[in-house]
Amino acid sequence: MKNRLKVLRAERDWTQAQLADALDVSRQTVNAIEKGKFDPSLPLAFRAARLFGLAIEAIFHDPALDKEESSLATEIKKDTYA
Amino acid sequence: MSQSTMQESGYDSRTRANVLRVFQWSVAWVGTCALLVFGPKFLWAKVLVFTLLAVGLNVLVGIGAIMANKRYFEELDDLQRRVHLNSLAITVGVAFIVAVPCSVLDSYHVIPFHADVAHLVMLMGLTYGASNLYGTRRYR
Repeated sequence: MKNRLKVLRAERDWTQAQLADALDVSRQTVNAIEKGKFDPSLPLAFRAARLFGLAIEAIFHDPALDKEESSLATEIKKDTYA
Repeated sequence: MSQSTMQESGYDSRTRANVLRVFQWSVAWVGTCALLVFGPKFLWAKVLVFTLLAVGLNVLVGIGAIMANKRYFEELDDLQRRVHLNSLAITVGVAFIVAVPCSVLDSYHVIPFHADVAHLVMLMGLTYGASNLYGTRRYR
């Protein structure tokens, strides 16, 4: 799963330690999520969304899901113009 | 958001307190184990009532240690919990895989030593430590 945590953190000029403190997790966890090594649980994703004032899908997204959605859109287009 | 990074975070201080609590309960449990092993011989001349009391104390402190451990796990964050869960899975797996053949080999006198439960406890401790270290480095 990909995420924009590092970008959002940098925009606010926060350190990993400050973000970890705000999310009530360890700095190692923030680092692992930012690097894409670890996917957060739903409660943690909600906490991040609340902290940044964004929807969960604006922070975390699944590339595989993007591919599925784009192939579905292509199919719909084909059906529409067929 | 607080700009102070020198201060320990709430998560870190809570984890530190939980680790200390687990350590204290573990030391107390080891103490009661020692009392149970050496007490009957050196302290109360194998009087059954005192031995039973020592067993009761050992069990009670053991329950306290389990509860402290449970609390420690519950208050870990997602990643740390996963690291510990993986370590536990590896430890239980290794314990089963090593203990059963060792026991069989011991019963047929193939291995030059007596397979004791203390060996298993040591193996589990080492496996848990090693897999925890591996897990921590993996997500660094």
